[in-house]
Amino acid sequence: MNQTFAEKLFSRKNLQGEPVSAGDVIEAKIDGAMLHYHANEPLYDMALQAGFKNGMPRVWDPEKIFVLLDHHQPTLSLKQADENALIRKEVERLGIKNFHDSEPGIAHQMMLDYAYMRPGELVVGNDSHTISYGAINVGGNGITRADMFYALLYGELWFQVPESIKIILNGKNPNYPIAKDIILYLAGQYGDDFANSMSIEYSGTLSSQLSIDSRMCLSAHGVEVGAKLATFEFDNQVKDYLDSKTNIPYEPISADPNATYKNEISLNVDEMPFVIANPHQFGNVSPIDEASGIKVNQAQIGSCANGRYEDIEIAARVLKGRKIAKGMRFLISPASQSVYLKCLKNGLVETLIESGAQVITPGCGICQPKIGFISDKEVCITSTTRNFKGRKGSFNADIYLAGPLSVAYAALCGEIRNPTEILNDI
Amino acid sequence: MTFNLNQSIEGRVWKFGNSIETDAINPYYHYPTMEEMKLHTMEAYRPEFAKEVKFGDILVAGTNFGCGSSRPGLVLREVGIAAIVVESVSRLFLRNSIARAIPIFLAPGILDLVEDGETLRVDYAGSHVVNVKTNKQLKIRKFPPMIEKIFEIGGLPEFAYARFQKENPGSNV
Repeated sequence: MNQTFAEKLFSRKNLQGEPVSAGDVIEAKIDGAMLHYHANEPLYDMALQAGFKNGMPRVWDPEKIFVLLDHHQPTLSLKQADENALIRKEVERLGIKNFHDSEPGIAHQMMLDYAYMRPGELVVGNDSHTISYGAINVGGNGITRADMFYALLYGELWFQVPESIKIILNGKNPNYPIAKDIILYLAGQYGDDFANSMSIEYSGTLSSQLSIDSRMCLSAHGVEVGAKLATFEFDNQVKDYLDSKTNIPYEPISADPNATYKNEISLNVDEMPFVIANPHQFGNVSPIDEASGIKVNQAQIGSCANGRYEDIEIAARVLKGRKIAKGMRFLISPASQSVYLKCLKNGLVETLIESGAQVITPGCGICQPKIGFISDKEVCITSTTRNFKGRKGSFNADIYLAGPLSVAYAALCGEIRNPTEILNDI
Repeated sequence: MTFNLNQSIEGRVWKFGNSIETDAINPYYHYPTMEEMKLHTMEAYRPEFAKEVKFGDILVAGTNFGCGSSRPGLVLREVGIAAIVVESVSRLFLRNSIARAIPIFLAPGILDLVEDGETLRVDYAGSHVVNVKTNKQLKIRKFPPMIEKIFEIGGLPEFAYARFQKENPGSNV
């Protein structure tokens, strides 16, 4: 067989036990299911709507369900507290083993921190950024809450096996993170749906140099270009990481050399400029020079795309011994408690607070937004996931997306500037 | 809510562009309840939409409709949208529409077929959409049989319940 990653994954998981090809509609067995906030809908509300009198009668496997109440931790309202209380009750009743309701953080990062998913598995989650698990060779797949209801009951779900697109990244990995620039650059070149319903396979000489943090960013943003899966090859870096976290065996997937791709895209990052997504779409991208001089009110580093150690470390490196611009609100939200603790132990938090930045509780708040709203005519530059109109508050505010280095440099300057200006000093 | 795919739908068209995100469909950051969202859906693109949309209207949009988060289009059904016809759709919005039996149809070329305010007829059984004024038509894509069954029974949770009853006869849960 000459199969892509996606064809191998879905052949392995096909309930009929037969090999499948792109385009086939199948029912697949799933290996794990991640639920985050609003888990009450698939866990309870939909069961009643569907006809079960007392809620869900069972779950298919209490060991393989992961409930992490990320967006609403800590709760910001009584309504959220009530929802979380209902979820807690249902989780206990159904015997679900993996439950995190007292630990703030982004579910996707915690899934990685706890090694709740492993290479070669098909893991679904009722959040679009579940696709990020592809960073460690997992078939991470965002589904909807109603899909999740079905998956919880049966451990199965329908899928159409996707066509695949190969993205070959070459060049040298610099000493600062560039994953955000890469995906923004690609979205600018090829459109914000260039991988619509497809499976992205990252390869090339750069891909193997990228940290797991950078791979998580690129895989998470698969959804911003429409993808169903966005995977990296399994390698020693991933093996070493998992060896330190879990004894559960796994079987990575590698595409066959003669697999069929719908498209192939190559990018040499040595020739790539720093870029920025202008308001109000992910694909509205230009070299950062074209936005140079735009005054900024708020800067942010965080989210499942860029709230990891390397994203925060580069900010600390830019700001070490310096002060952010007067009046600048610089919000930094580590992706999980584990990331936060590492930043703290290595002195990054101290550096950032001394510079005038605010380090806030891990979670999804600054991206979604639950906290850090912006007012009319204000400008925000952020390394979070999306810049849709009104996403940070006012419809008349402008949100720019950029990598963490560009964001930190804007926080320092008070305006958008090309971070090549500071490369010799960090 | 069950939906008979084979029943034709005719309605006034509301036209939108490319990459309309689920945040615009569900502006829940500002309006967390369904009742509030009904008054503000799509206002990021067309502030008059929520006020003027009528039951039976059809929403037409460009490529990548429903991009962004995994939120569904239930609010569009609540304000009366009888069908969504698009150039292309984000996969999660499509999954949501199937799982909640919200009629959505893929008709590449739709933006050129019909203008805002014109009347469109969707004939899934005949595999086409028609601009009632010009009588021009376009092919729409058929869903696989399994997906048609999910529409028929009213969505995926309902499909799951029916399977459970079949596999556990006499169960009283």
